[in-house]
Amino acid sequence: MRKSLFAFLFAPLLALSQSTPPPAHVRDAAPTLIAFTNATLHTDARTVVKKATLIIRDGEVITIGDKVSIPPNAVVRDLNGLHIWPALIEPYSDLGLVASTPDERKAENRAARHWNAALRADAKAHELYKADAERSAKLREQGYALVIAHRMDGIARGTSAAIALNDEPAVKSIVAPDAAAHFSFRKGSSQDSYPGSLMGSIALLRQTLLDAKWYATLPQNRETDAVLLDLVRQIDGRMVCEASERNDVLRWSKLLREFQLTGIVKGAGDEYARLPEIKAVGMPLIVPFAQPEAYDVEDPYDALEVTYARLKHWELAMRNAYLLDSAEITFALTAHGRKELKDIWKDLRKLVANGLDSAKAIEKLTSEPARLFGLDSRYGALRPGMRASFLITSQHLLHEKNAIHETWVEGKRFVIDDPDKPRLAGSYDLNLGDAIWLLEVTGEAGKNEATVRRPDEADSLKVKARLDLQGRVVSLSFAPKGKPEEVTRLNGSVHGEGGVWDGQGQRPGGAWFAWSAVRRADSKQVKKDASTPLGASTKPDSAAARAKQVFGPITYPLVGYGWKDALLHETIVIRNATVWTNTAKGILRSADVLIHEGKVKAVGEKLDALALFPGKSKPAIAEIDGTGKHLTCGIVDEHSHIAIARGVNEGSHYNTSEVRIGDVINPDDVNIYRNLAGGVTTIQQLHGSANPIGGQSAVIKLRWGRSADSLVLSGARPRIKFALGENVKQSNWGPSSRFPQTRMGVEQAFYDAFHQARAYQAEHDRWSVLKPKERDGKAAPRRDLRMEALAEILRGERDISCHSYVQSEIAMLMHVADSMGFKVNTFTHILEGYKVAQAMKRHGASASTFSDWWAYKLEVNDAIPHNAALLHLNGVHTGINSDDAEMSRRLNQEAAKAVKYGGVSAEEAWKMVTLNPARMLGLDHRVGAVEPGKDADLVLWSADPLSIDARALSTWVDGVRYYDEARDREQRAWIATERDRITRAMMQAKADGAPSRKPGRERPRLWHCDDMGDDEYMMDEHDGH
Amino acid sequence: MVTDRIIFLFVALLSGMLTHAQIPTPALSQAKSILITGGTVHVGDGKVIDEGAVGFRDGRIDYVGFGYGVKAAYDTTINAKDQHIYPGFIVPDSPLGLIEIEQARATLDMRDVGQYEPELRSISAYKSDSRVTPTIRSNGVLLAQVAPRGLVIAGTSSVVQLDAWDSDGAIVKADDGVWMTWPAAYQRQGWWAEPGETDSEKKDERAKKIEELRTFFRKAKAYAAELKPSTIDARMEAMRGLFNGSKALFIRTDAAREITEAVLFAKAEGVKRTVIAGGYDAWRVADLLRDNQVDVILRRTHSLPMRPEDDIDMPYKLPALLKERGIRFCLGYTGDHEHAGARNLPFVAGTARAHGLSPEDALRTITLDAAAILGIDQRCGSLAVGKDATLIISAGDALDMRGNDVRLAFIQGRRISLDNHQKQLYRQYRKRLEGGQ
Repeated sequence: MRKSLFAFLFAPLLALSQSTPPPAHVRDAAPTLIAFTNATLHTDARTVVKKATLIIRDGEVITIGDKVSIPPNAVVRDLNGLHIWPALIEPYSDLGLVASTPDERKAENRAARHWNAALRADAKAHELYKADAERSAKLREQGYALVIAHRMDGIARGTSAAIALNDEPAVKSIVAPDAAAHFSFRKGSSQDSYPGSLMGSIALLRQTLLDAKWYATLPQNRETDAVLLDLVRQIDGRMVCEASERNDVLRWSKLLREFQLTGIVKGAGDEYARLPEIKAVGMPLIVPFAQPEAYDVEDPYDALEVTYARLKHWELAMRNAYLLDSAEITFALTAHGRKELKDIWKDLRKLVANGLDSAKAIEKLTSEPARLFGLDSRYGALRPGMRASFLITSQHLLHEKNAIHETWVEGKRFVIDDPDKPRLAGSYDLNLGDAIWLLEVTGEAGKNEATVRRPDEADSLKVKARLDLQGRVVSLSFAPKGKPEEVTRLNGSVHGEGGVWDGQGQRPGGAWFAWSAVRRADSKQVKKDASTPLGASTKPDSAAARAKQVFGPITYPLVGYGWKDALLHETIVIRNATVWTNTAKGILRSADVLIHEGKVKAVGEKLDALALFPGKSKPAIAEIDGTGKHLTCGIVDEHSHIAIARGVNEGSHYNTSEVRIGDVINPDDVNIYRNLAGGVTTIQQLHGSANPIGGQSAVIKLRWGRSADSLVLSGARPRIKFALGENVKQSNWGPSSRFPQTRMGVEQAFYDAFHQARAYQAEHDRWSVLKPKERDGKAAPRRDLRMEALAEILRGERDISCHSYVQSEIAMLMHVADSMGFKVNTFTHILEGYKVAQAMKRHGASASTFSDWWAYKLEVNDAIPHNAALLHLNGVHTGINSDDAEMSRRLNQEAAKAVKYGGVSAEEAWKMVTLNPARMLGLDHRVGAVEPGKDADLVLWSADPLSIDARALSTWVDGVRYYDEARDREQRAWIATERDRITRAMMQAKADGAPSRKPGRERPRLWHCDDMGDDEYMMDEHDGH
Repeated sequence: MVTDRIIFLFVALLSGMLTHAQIPTPALSQAKSILITGGTVHVGDGKVIDEGAVGFRDGRIDYVGFGYGVKAAYDTTINAKDQHIYPGFIVPDSPLGLIEIEQARATLDMRDVGQYEPELRSISAYKSDSRVTPTIRSNGVLLAQVAPRGLVIAGTSSVVQLDAWDSDGAIVKADDGVWMTWPAAYQRQGWWAEPGETDSEKKDERAKKIEELRTFFRKAKAYAAELKPSTIDARMEAMRGLFNGSKALFIRTDAAREITEAVLFAKAEGVKRTVIAGGYDAWRVADLLRDNQVDVILRRTHSLPMRPEDDIDMPYKLPALLKERGIRFCLGYTGDHEHAGARNLPFVAGTARAHGLSPEDALRTITLDAAAILGIDQRCGSLAVGKDATLIISAGDALDMRGNDVRLAFIQGRRISLDNHQKQLYRQYRKRLEGGQ
């Protein structure tokens, strides 16, 4: 057995790679066998071999074990007392792959590639990589030997390569091309206006994935698209998708699932806040683990500016890894995005202190990234046949005192902190032949400083000596105090680990002499001897640290006012309230309403609630006294922009019907909760009004705490936003040249889009009736999601909410619709609706207007607060909407204005914020009234809901009480307590030396119709609508 | 005691409708004495008189009390039984008349360029015949403090009444105050994945800004010491009044730290009267404000909490918090749609009432206390003998949307038209509907 192994070891080297240049000199053919002996060898994070021998050759591990015969021709290194670990792998890097320059982009655009410059799937790391020795060295210093790097630019970013940090030419350092294909939601350096929002990025990806699949089926390509060509291959392989926050993880999963794809998500490190949902999607993660900076919260006013979410992130960022692991989510750790790479060790120890098993912590940096990228047969552990990329360290990797001495990359040695280097620090007797002086050396190896004095002299007379060590050759020179010209100069060798020096010197005057220095026995020097064992590998003591740490609960969502416990639907009867039924029964003065399993079960006077449950098992029924209070259905807001992430407008093209608000619902927006406190239960989240054909709406219920997808009101009809007038013709946004610039152009934009959609539909219809044989050799027509949304309108499957102001444009769109054979479901804003009310009624359009806004732009100069009343009197279904996160929580007051301006009855005015918008959204069979069978979306008001004195006391959605005034007061107190607890911890951390920063003001952006861009945060107030 | 003529309110209403001009014609000065009787009189200082009466002649109030106490004879008696009589509401810190249409640049005069520009005077740009104004006053808002916006020092405001032939005729108090924005203490920042900059560099920048302001104020104070300077400096002249009390310094700021800094700054620089505008955190620094007699023009109650997890009803209850802490304040309407939206001023007061203020205290925040803070309470802000007869009669509770039904309004005794562009359009289209067109 041993013999055959030896035979193998001595076999001649045949494996010259095809890319090695022909030899220009006598070949270096001697085998490069290296044997490391007596090491504490960690073959992986869990397996230790004591007194082990590791033999490597040509960058490969040959053998490992504690009873290994060392081949005679091996170079032997004794690592007694030292540890060997698999080297680290960085799974998310842009090493050597800087974003492209404008010139490069120009050149790339001349190639046969996709029209959208954010799609750069043809960018291949192994082609673009430019070695970066400085960064590579920094990575090696911290123990990394391999990175997976891609160019972090664009939405489809191309492929990554696995790059060994061996400072070899790319041919030898790139050990795996096409490690993965990379994607993000950020368009990077692309100058294209599309996409300009998160939903635009998602829509572009969706269309492009469709295109790639279609492109692959083409029997003959009529055109060449390098991006699609590469994408076709990439989607069959490993995909890595970048998330900017926790909700993005779910967005990626949803998008990929549409194509039966899966992938790895690079997270933001805040996954703890949506753990169950993220676990459910089952995608492996790559997550950062940097300790966020603390804030300066010593000043109580400054501390007010640090949000609860930020405090929690500071507290939980280092707990994330433990929580992911406990949830059995596969993940690797990345150092990408850190300020200081060297902090990884400190932070890793924190992960362990916060609960993560220390072996697992190491796995997340070694075997796990290797496995994620399919490199685990070669990297991430040390076994025969694997690559010789490993670390020589002084201790356990996570030990506080650990030093990485050497990083070996593919069998190549990089010395980080030479273990054999003499350690000079200490006190010496310096024998100068004629006198013995005292020499003191301080500082770390390489940065030593020295002083000398005569032993009988006072310490104040000591002088600084110049000390220089190169290898083991030392030179030392000094002059007595006040006599700089009397220099003594010494040169000599350092012996052993540094305790004995000797050599020749020259005195002032030129006489040569022999000298020596011997470290004193009483020297404070701590012995650092490679030949002496350092003791057993010390594992960080995590149990004790873990016990000390207190974490507050994770609320859903993890912002202020989130829930600690899941809320359940109630079985409850509200008695003796004034009930606004919105049915033929009208307003009941003293009635009872019973809700059960999310529905209204009964409405009536003096209900015998138990009798309503036939059979023996009766539910427990709670009661609320509604005396003096008013009970209504929840408010339905037809026009809202709350709870939308990173951009409400994809206004870059005049038609962006493919973008979907449903892709970018933000369930963490506190305005959901604030709206509930204003009695709102259902909203239509609309795309903005920057372009004639905007994006698809989402209709959600305000189920505060649930994930984005669980907010969606299932069964709601699909909807889309259209817009007319000044916004779409870009009147108020400075110079612009995008079509259209006039209302005339707006009309033609619609006609053209719908003619296109008709043709598109016809082409697909023709294809759909072809027999299989007839399809032979032909490609299916391309699916175009932009056209599909319009085709749905033409088929009557998608309803429109159209932003509109003036009479002419309202009439125009109805003409377009009539001639194309569809209906405009709702005109929203519709401030001149009163001028064309009869035409609207004939067309069958509803109106959703503002109560009293005007004078904010020229086209609302004839806006009147009597609009709602006039429309109503004309028989148009009329609603009053918000388009504003503030006003939406007072829509009851806005409804009252329909009474004030135009004399609508209270009951009809109330329907304008409930039943009528529910009708527009096609939801009146479920919401908008209080009657048996309808969803239990209810609000209990302190007074007549149309009065200024009314406050919502409780708000139910599907029978779940998502807002309750009394509970809200408890929440406030609890938030204050939590803030106090974390703030104190933060101050303690700062006192212990943690870096900190000044608090800033967090002001999440509130979207309005005409807001462009995807910047989540803003400072300035914003007018317009 | 019975007067020669009685006008019932519906008659008054009808006559109002006869006005057909696009912009209602300003009313003529009061020729005949008027007594309003039988209604609930909300004095504005906290008192309510049931079945009260208000009499006025030559534009001044000469009787406020119970109906039965009226001694003098009046030319006209208005029966306001079951109605409510209020002082005209006052909107402070408004760009009314400086903005016609927010997104039509040519109609904007509220914000200039520069940094320290106290010399910019709002009254010089004030459009007394704005089409917006009649829609404001028909909800009972009869007085406005017209204030410029932006910059570090935006300019000088004036207080106007809302029924005038021209800007000079509108003046109630010219050049009442200088408007300053205190440099923000907190920089904006993104979320943790992409934190914004909040560095010491920014901090230094701010310190520099405050130092510049200080230098500016010191120069102004030195300049003000000389009554007839040899060279006239427009900026310094505009600052003069701050140091002798003839002008107030209005400082826009919200956070506690900023308010504290601003108040101490104004005090140190010898400003005689300081008012904080915005004042979201004013309740937190109540002692400081009270000790220095600093008033507050509170930001719109109909706004969102400034910080994500502030109490969700914080803006609604700020008035009650200030009241509890003894700070004198009035309500503003700054924010989105602030010029045309000012007609909702009574409802922001109504919301304050729904969230802890007593009804008459809520009224004070848009009447007497507003007048006192603007320095016009000698003439306006409450129904008191000797004051301007600037008042409204509402069919119901004017602080509630449904009750706010202003039947008659008087400014300095002149019965103003309550018609407006919007009511005209409403009538037109109502007629169209009734005519079956």
